[in-house]
Amino acid sequence: MNMNLFRSEEHARNWDGYDDSMVSSLMPVAVWADIFSNPFFRERGRIDYISWTRSEAGADAFTSLRALLPRASG
Amino acid sequence: MAELDLLDRGYAAVMRRVIDTGQAQHYTELATELGIELAAARDLVHELVAVTPGWTHPGTDHLASFPPFNIQPTQYRVTIDGEQRWFAQCGFEALATRWLVPGKQVRIDAPCLCCGEPIAIEMRDDDITAIEPEQTVGYTSCEIGGDAASRPFR
Repeated sequence: MNMNLFRSEEHARNWDGYDDSMVSSLMPVAVWADIFSNPFFRERGRIDYISWTRSEAGADAFTSLRALLPRASG
Repeated sequence: MAELDLLDRGYAAVMRRVIDTGQAQHYTELATELGIELAAARDLVHELVAVTPGWTHPGTDHLASFPPFNIQPTQYRVTIDGEQRWFAQCGFEALATRWLVPGKQVRIDAPCLCCGEPIAIEMRDDDITAIEPEQTVGYTSCEIGGDAASRPFR
């Protein structure tokens, strides 16, 4: 998995797997914690989770999640 | 393709087992638990990892990853209310483990991939109670969820 935590921005940039085209993803861990608070993640404990992902509420959650995810540049 | 009700029941059963034990059922156990044929349970495992998105160990029917948790150990150790028996799928999913254990204290311990020195994050529900060091960042070298055409939340 290439979604990782680093002790600082400098550490991430010095990682041998660093790719500058994804520099938009280099953000404080608190920001990532907020993104991973989307209902897509919060609702995983439901007994009807898969059905929920296909509901209107699930679709709305995915739309807002997509809007927050960084994209590669260039 | 399994019916939606069976996907729901299978997903909930596996997630419950992972939360309770840090491990996932083999499909034969899942078949007994859900009252379905072995072949249907084996297919169900693969359908579930396709939609979660997780994965089985390559070439097997063994659940290896069931986000936010990983059955196979990773560098992201998850401690819940003082007990360390879980691993997270990745650094970002580690941050989402708290939603499955409401009211409990969750601690993530991981080595930095650059230097091997420790990172620790503590959370409870909506509160991030500690980040050590404070400058900790997240970074991904690929787009989350993979290609837009194939990711589950496209």
